[in-house]
Amino acid sequence: MLRYIARRLAQAAIIVAIVATITFALIHLAPGDPFSAVLDNPNVSESVRETLRAQYGLDRPLPEQFVRYVGALSRGELGWSFSHDRPVSEVLGQALPNTLLLMGVALVGSFALGILIALIQVARRGTTTDHALNGITLLFIAMPDFWLALLALLSLAYWLPIFPVGGAVDPVTHDYLSAGGRIVDRLYHLALPAMTLILLASASVARYQRAALLDVLPSDYIRTARLKGLTERQILRRHALRNALLPTITLIGLSFPALLTGAFFIERIFAWPGMGYAVVYAIGTRDYPLVVGGVMIGSIMVTLGSLAADLLYAWADPRVRNI
Amino acid sequence: MATMRYVGILCALLVCGCSTESSRGGSSGGTLAISTGGDPDVLIPNLLQTTTGAQIVDMVYDRLADIGDSLNVVNDRGFTPRLADRWTWAKDSMSIAFHINPNAKWHDGQPVRSNDVRFTIASTKDSTLGSPAASVITNIDSVTTPDSSTAVFWFHSRSPQQFYDAVYQLPIMPEHVWKDIAPAGWRGSEAAKHPIGSGPYRFVRWIPRAAVELVADTANYRGAPKLSRLVWSIAPDFNGALTRFLTGETDFFPQLRPDDLKEVAKHKDLRTRTFRSLSYQFLQFNLRNPNDRDRPHPIFGNRELRRALTMAVDRAALVRSVYDTLAQPALGPTLRVYPTTDPNLQQIPYDPARSRQILDSLGWRVTTRDSMRTRNDRPLRFTISVPGTSQVRVQYAVLLQEQFRRVGVNAEIEKLDFPVLVEKDRKRTIDATIGQWNTQPSPGAVLGSWGIAGSRSTNGNNYGTYENPVFDANIDSALASVDLAKRKAYFTRAYQTIIQDAPAIWLAEPRQIAGYHSRLDIETLRPDSWWIHIPEWSIPADKRIARDKVPSASPAASAPAQPAGQKTP
Repeated sequence: MLRYIARRLAQAAIIVAIVATITFALIHLAPGDPFSAVLDNPNVSESVRETLRAQYGLDRPLPEQFVRYVGALSRGELGWSFSHDRPVSEVLGQALPNTLLLMGVALVGSFALGILIALIQVARRGTTTDHALNGITLLFIAMPDFWLALLALLSLAYWLPIFPVGGAVDPVTHDYLSAGGRIVDRLYHLALPAMTLILLASASVARYQRAALLDVLPSDYIRTARLKGLTERQILRRHALRNALLPTITLIGLSFPALLTGAFFIERIFAWPGMGYAVVYAIGTRDYPLVVGGVMIGSIMVTLGSLAADLLYAWADPRVRNI
Repeated sequence: MATMRYVGILCALLVCGCSTESSRGGSSGGTLAISTGGDPDVLIPNLLQTTTGAQIVDMVYDRLADIGDSLNVVNDRGFTPRLADRWTWAKDSMSIAFHINPNAKWHDGQPVRSNDVRFTIASTKDSTLGSPAASVITNIDSVTTPDSSTAVFWFHSRSPQQFYDAVYQLPIMPEHVWKDIAPAGWRGSEAAKHPIGSGPYRFVRWIPRAAVELVADTANYRGAPKLSRLVWSIAPDFNGALTRFLTGETDFFPQLRPDDLKEVAKHKDLRTRTFRSLSYQFLQFNLRNPNDRDRPHPIFGNRELRRALTMAVDRAALVRSVYDTLAQPALGPTLRVYPTTDPNLQQIPYDPARSRQILDSLGWRVTTRDSMRTRNDRPLRFTISVPGTSQVRVQYAVLLQEQFRRVGVNAEIEKLDFPVLVEKDRKRTIDATIGQWNTQPSPGAVLGSWGIAGSRSTNGNNYGTYENPVFDANIDSALASVDLAKRKAYFTRAYQTIIQDAPAIWLAEPRQIAGYHSRLDIETLRPDSWWIHIPEWSIPADKRIARDKVPSASPAASAPAQPAGQKTP
């Protein structure tokens, strides 16, 4: 098992290196430069622009910039964010917990909701409820994440002002709230972005889980359980679900990149100060080190998420442990 | 109603407290939450570029004197004391001695000294810092400090604007905070993250992409400001900032568009106020060939053709379509708010028939089935580049496209990402672009954006490369004139020259529209900086909501910054 993990980690390192190199090249090739927006001022002289570019090493040829960047990486430095005037590691260090919180809640919530929907559908298979839930889940799968996010924002934050329009906390009052108040404030701000991600991800989980449940229902052990007199609910929960969970566990690994990408848009729309918000902002401002650093952290999260899912699968199914 | 949704929750959860400190002649207390669509760039006075940065810096730092609401830039007429309680001109006008208010203190308790003034100017002029303000204080030779309370500005030459140059461009910075930090490391230093000024508000915190918070400096030498707390609520973009204002999460949004007014009107707690801005919009032609800058542009290199295009555009109708009554057609590269601008500048008239005649005479004739003009089989076609995120500029582009079509000119619209557009502008690879210059109280900035130096410099701001020595000479003469009548006459000649040369079609001089919560008592919104009177704004005690009642001392208040390690990028 340890050799397997080591091999997967080595593969992950290669993937991350390739992703970082491609991202570095692409973002530098994109038109514009980090000082274009802030220097759009008739009073800024040419020498100031040149001084700024030199300060950040942008006056060097691209290959030299890349070599310097790789050198810094080898020392564990992700570079200096132009737009934040802070080390990239510090910027991402503040953003990552917010992304993990949002993704964590979305991951747990979407699997819980998805499995629940699948159980309801299978328990009432062939009925109107089953068909309706099928249609609803299909709708959410087909729905672009940014569109649902905008719809949620408009309907639940603007037309019906139930939730705040953005941010992780209320910047005006958060620090002046009691401890309980701060928790409520954070949950209040988390609700809408998390709900959007949960709705989107749970639809896929529900369809996977429904199919897996329907696969195991004709099995001999289910028939035996029925013959023993167990109720349909007991059969579904105790016997069918446990065995039908294996494909869903695989889905955790697959949904990790999808959730992360989805979170990028969701964070931007809900101004959730996570990695996605930071990286999308960095792309707009051509903050090269922050873009590359963010993409690297994202690819590390995806590869580790995939590895975790594989390990979870092996833990859940003894048959695959020695493969 | 939107605002009220917070009241219930917050009243239950807030650790309540109300400040009762003395202030500028009114009751103290209340929080002003300002919506903004992006972080400030830096909070260092001589490095900042963004408007949000300027708003915060102007609250934390102080200038030697304030320009006043008249925005006069000649001599010291209209300027009011700030850090300097008085000043004395030398007989030959080559120097001005500023006397520092003895009660003025930095927020860390240190007194403000003349050394701080000298340091501010010297550091701004230091080329290793790369200050954008360096180019606007070139007439200041140096600052000497005969004693700790007197700072003497020495100038290279007498100029009507030398007082303005000395006091308007830069707030004064504390030497003891910055002197030990290498200029290249200022942006990343701890001192930059915890600015210490002498202004009416103290810095509390800056949470990137979330908020900047200031609290009233109750011991300020000019008296405590009326509002206890200012918070800039940072949204990811314009729309996010607008939504926060409309839902009551913030109290003030200074960038409403005409189209937003209907939405604001639906909220009974919200009010709007329009005020003059220092910006003008234009369709700028590139007069040089984008593929070979040594040659004239194949279309716009011809002055008569540019005039014909200008005649094809009904500028008044365009302004009505885009802004209704909230803008006037631009007069030229200037603003009506300048006392030196003649509002009756002679314009190229709207005359589509004459436009067609000129185009015919230049050999551009309608030959194709779609009524478009060609010459030697080359179509009269060009591209108008606009930032896709600017609704107003896109709207303008569409309307211009239609007006050009009516005279047989094919204009295509190219919507670009803002950094891409700036890059194309700077490399002069555009055909035409809809631009906007946000200027200063001095009309002198026009030389950078339309003068010869701005055209010939590799990274100059005269993107259209318009060059006319007559225009430059008249602006130079105007800037050197103390006499208002002469000054106005020179400016008029310069503007008349550029209007007739038509390097651009002068589109609009928009008014700014600010939205605010009805519980706020706001003062004059000044065209150059609407925020400058915030210390005099107030919220009556009986109108306060939950966020107005937070304690004035912040739990997250930062310790005074110490000179920090010399981090470099």
